[in-house]
Amino acid sequence: MNVYRLATRRGRAALGATLTIVALFLGAGTASAAVMPAASSTQSVKGVEVPMAVAAATDVKGKTFAVATDTTFAPFEFRNGGGDLVGIDMDLLHAIAENQGFSVDIKSLGFDAALQALQSNQVQGVIAGMSITDKRKLIFDFSDPYFDSGVQMAVAKDNETVKTYADLKGKTVAVKRGTEGETFANSIKDANGFTVKALADSATIYDDVKAGNSVAVFDDYPVLAYGVSQNNGLKIVTPKEAGSSYGFAVNKAQNSDLLAAFDAGLANLKANGDYQKILDKYLSAPETAKQTSFFDLLVNSFPALMKGLGMTLLATGLSLIIALVLGVVFGFFKVGESRILRIVASIYVEIFRGTPLLVQAFFFYFGLPQLTGQPLDVLSAGVITLSLNAGAYMTEIVRGGIQSVDPGQLEASRSLGLGYVTSMRRVVVPQAIKIMTPSFINQFVITLKDTSLLAVIGFAELTYQGQQIYAANFRTGETLLIVAALYFIVIFVLTQLSNVLDRKFNK
Amino acid sequence: MSATTENDAPAKIIVRDLKKSFGANEVLKGINVEIAEGEVVCVIGPSGSGKSTFLRCLNKLEDITAGSVTVDGYDLTDPTVDLNAVRQHIGMVFQHFNLFPHMSALQNIMLAPVELKKLDKAGARAQGMDLLKRVDLAEKADARPASLSGGQKQRVAIARALAMSPGIMLFDEATSALDPEMVGEVLQVIRDLAAEGMTMVVVTHEMGFAREVADRVIFMDGGVICEQGTPEEIFSNAQQPRLQEFLAKVL
Repeated sequence: MNVYRLATRRGRAALGATLTIVALFLGAGTASAAVMPAASSTQSVKGVEVPMAVAAATDVKGKTFAVATDTTFAPFEFRNGGGDLVGIDMDLLHAIAENQGFSVDIKSLGFDAALQALQSNQVQGVIAGMSITDKRKLIFDFSDPYFDSGVQMAVAKDNETVKTYADLKGKTVAVKRGTEGETFANSIKDANGFTVKALADSATIYDDVKAGNSVAVFDDYPVLAYGVSQNNGLKIVTPKEAGSSYGFAVNKAQNSDLLAAFDAGLANLKANGDYQKILDKYLSAPETAKQTSFFDLLVNSFPALMKGLGMTLLATGLSLIIALVLGVVFGFFKVGESRILRIVASIYVEIFRGTPLLVQAFFFYFGLPQLTGQPLDVLSAGVITLSLNAGAYMTEIVRGGIQSVDPGQLEASRSLGLGYVTSMRRVVVPQAIKIMTPSFINQFVITLKDTSLLAVIGFAELTYQGQQIYAANFRTGETLLIVAALYFIVIFVLTQLSNVLDRKFNK
Repeated sequence: MSATTENDAPAKIIVRDLKKSFGANEVLKGINVEIAEGEVVCVIGPSGSGKSTFLRCLNKLEDITAGSVTVDGYDLTDPTVDLNAVRQHIGMVFQHFNLFPHMSALQNIMLAPVELKKLDKAGARAQGMDLLKRVDLAEKADARPASLSGGQKQRVAIARALAMSPGIMLFDEATSALDPEMVGEVLQVIRDLAAEGMTMVVVTHEMGFAREVADRVIFMDGGVICEQGTPEEIFSNAQQPRLQEFLAKVL
């Protein structure tokens, strides 16, 4: 899949970062094969003729075409405050469709999934800020370029000393990992004597400059221009370095009428000035994007954050239930009389307590599907990770709880003629639960917070939603403040509730 | 010995060459004893002599390293013997009471009869109240153990041990953890049980009590039975120097 991806074009930075880590983690050079579960299906359906291509061959008028795009790649496609998908790609495609008299059905799938959907003929075209490359031309037919990208340098708005590359001597420059900006910065760093620092996404590198850790950024011109227009606190100081061009893609030798219509429409828009208007809307005139208040940000981001919070609670709830079962089973193994079961439980605990949760998440989402050939969706992978991890800690809580009950209790019960299971159930476990409850509440809070780590595998929980929001509006600090406040409120309310229940039932 | 000659019925408890080790530490080094039905045996001896371990082997709370313990004809070392069934006939009272803190006094007593389906709930409740009356604690039926005094706790524990109507009662230093003023009330309950003809093995430090209620006194030292006999023989006519030494210290 990485074959299709150009360095300049990354749908989700985090996904790219995970790829690197997974490649290291598995010691395999084939990490690209694991990216998207649907990858395996692509090959099998390639080459299947799509009836529509034939039906629409003569004319596009009145037809509806399914076009796939990315989820968030501002300013080409992103969701505005109202949750609608907007951006240069969207406005352009709608304008061209109107100009040429056809309709489009937009599928916001993510960059990789969009390309897969096209290859498997689930959609007829892709528009996703996609660079035209020789490799891609082997598989797809491209329209005329509709946008010329390229790298620019930006510095903090109030910085008057850095105006050229030479001014960077002895300074640090932030770039987005794996982008053309990084490639360009590395190519000139020795000549100009600066240090390059690669970070995960655009919002982060802008913040790095604002925080004073770096003095400048190198980023793709449209992304940078959009950031500036959204008051990201930076200003562009150098002209655009020549870079790649973006194009609309269809499958090779298919839907040529759609491609022709796109080219014709694009030419018309360029001629009548609408094309420039669309670009200006997103890329120029910073004064058009007025700084909205914190309250506006709160109101606008609230629906997405609530959705994220719902996913957070879902993953937490499912994971805790499974972890509780695991903890009870392995906890009893640990206090039981079978040496083998004790060893099994110990191995389980040591593995999941002795490795980072993040590595476990990568393993279950990327590594395991590679080993088994069985794709795992992100919720399942996330819940499996959290369950097994929390289960290891629960095991220790259960073991500790049972062992902290006076052995005389079990002896007294056994001396009455009650069996082991009955004695545990009626005498030991009720006392152990009382001892364990505070630890359980603690683990519950830890697991809830740990769900935020699943953002790196693209699980759309609260932190992930927050990242998506500041990736589009660059208001990192305020967005994270809201996210943190939501975590705090939920955890505070739930722990208070747990404590009340604890007092009520564990008198 | 005297017990078996007194009546012809087979002994209630027969211990043969009982050995018990904790790791490399051999605590019991070969115990042989028979206890007859209705006999009250008091076990005395210095701490570390193995008397509590011996008692705990009689209902197999401790695994038996070697030898055999036969209770009511059931060999506890035989893996096919249902230990839970045998234990229902052996009540045990612990030094630290071991009452179930999450249950009331009455619930402590009712647990075994209800769980083991000896009685239904109502029957177990009625029996529990009878037992509490017997130990003079009927008014504490709904009290949690935490709110009872040491003496009261131990009396509830005795009532609990009696709930399955055992034929044998084992007392493991039942008064050692009590304040002195509470020792008497617990000893009185045990004394009453002895008078009713209950077979009992009592590990105790109360020499006066042993002398008063025991049919036979066993002196243990160093993991073996050092000397045994009637209270008179043990307390007034000790043969072994170790017993004489021990008595000189405690009396």
